Amino acid sequence: MELAYYPGCSLHASSELYDIQCKRVFKNLGIELKEIEDWNCCGATAASKTDDFLAIALPARNLGIADATGLSEIVIPCSSCYSRTLVSQQRLSCDPQLKDAINAELGHKIEGKIKVSNILEVLRPKVVSGEIAEKTKKKLEGLKPACYYGCLLTRFPCDVPVTDDVENPQGMEIVCKALGAEPVDWSYKTDCCGASASVNDAEQSLLLMSRIIKDAVARGANCFVSTCPLCQFNVDAYQDQVGEKYGIRERLPVYFITELIGLSMGFDPIEMQIDRHLTDAMGLLKELKLI
Amino acid sequence: MPTKTLKYDTSRAQSLIHEVMERSGQNLLACYQCRRCAAGCPVGDETGVTPDRLIRMILLGDRDEALSNLLVWKCVACYTCGTRCPNNIQTARIVETLKQMSKAEHLEPLAPRIADFHSSFMKATENRGRFNELEGMGIYETKTAMREMKKGNLKAVIDEIKGQAKLGMKMRKKKRMHLKLDKVKNVSEVKALYRKAGQGKGA
Repeated sequence: MELAYYPGCSLHASSELYDIQCKRVFKNLGIELKEIEDWNCCGATAASKTDDFLAIALPARNLGIADATGLSEIVIPCSSCYSRTLVSQQRLSCDPQLKDAINAELGHKIEGKIKVSNILEVLRPKVVSGEIAEKTKKKLEGLKPACYYGCLLTRFPCDVPVTDDVENPQGMEIVCKALGAEPVDWSYKTDCCGASASVNDAEQSLLLMSRIIKDAVARGANCFVSTCPLCQFNVDAYQDQVGEKYGIRERLPVYFITELIGLSMGFDPIEMQIDRHLTDAMGLLKELKLI
Repeated sequence: MPTKTLKYDTSRAQSLIHEVMERSGQNLLACYQCRRCAAGCPVGDETGVTPDRLIRMILLGDRDEALSNLLVWKCVACYTCGTRCPNNIQTARIVETLKQMSKAEHLEPLAPRIADFHSSFMKATENRGRFNELEGMGIYETKTAMREMKKGNLKAVIDEIKGQAKLGMKMRKKKRMHLKLDKVKNVSEVKALYRKAGQGKGA
């Protein structure tokens, strides 16, 4: 099975490890990820904050390229890229004039055919079908993740089909349970980490992260698991700063969902680059004798 | 945080309501001030302005306050307000609209660092079609430093450099810093979209 694949800018830079892991894990599940050619940045939140046209047009160019592959589905692991692309496709489907205006500039015209999926939409059916269980060699016993969804996987600025419960999504819990981990029940799973506010409005972002980390600790989680490179990076890179400022002693590793699946499949943690986290992610795995 | 008294200006209300409704595509008149959005807003405490209050400003015609308040700048685009609104009003779209109107009128941003970040992000993306973290952060840090220097605030510049250097070193050590610049081959296509946006043929 082949799926079109849009990594986005993060997965080509600070979250390159997520790109490597996605390709490996999907391959082992019999899915070949075909990175679309010459893709551009989706514009992220910056575009929607500054220019309504570019917010739709930047992801639209990628949609045109994706449509031209002839594949039926494109998977986008980054929540921000996923959200912007889905919103663009929806908007263009009900605004033919805008679609024509954008298409006039594009080599690959937008047809609106390809299904835009997030990573959990692809993984969940693989749990249900038993294919993930079939490929796993190791139960992740003792791992108690707080599944952290953040904002953009379930909340959108327009009407699009939402693939999970908006206030209490379960996709990541379903995957984690299939791997033998015991996800905790907690209250901040869809709360905002601030995203780029960690750079431009640091105090605000640290405050938001402190609430998220405090609740995860209070609920007995020993790690986070995330599908979004922006959430992952924030809670991973700024956890020391948050802890120092808000008096939180515990430090929880922030795993990508693909790291947990890969570990369970028996992949080498170094090959998956789990040693590249800014908040140590290897120690807990050693402690639990998972590596 | 105490809230300001809003000015009711009937002569300006009509035109402001229509302008915001048209540009954002949101039906502000459907707001019945239930404040579910306010309850969920993660920056409401710090801004002193919640989404319901923002809508109120527009309905009362207080254009000055609507275009220049902290929520317009500090909104983190989490979309909680719109998701919970019983009348399906996407306040985050209204925030985006007001921010763009504020920029078009050359109003001084209340949170200049946030304004600089967004414009730096868009500039870096225009340059190569992709957002390269080093390039984008370089543009942003230069803008921030120049602004602080103008105010004679050397300490802010030094603190910023120290903070970023610390994070940068951590990232280098863990090989999370990407030094190669990614570029779209057909970047002229991306630039054409930027030109079209500049001509006001936008959404």
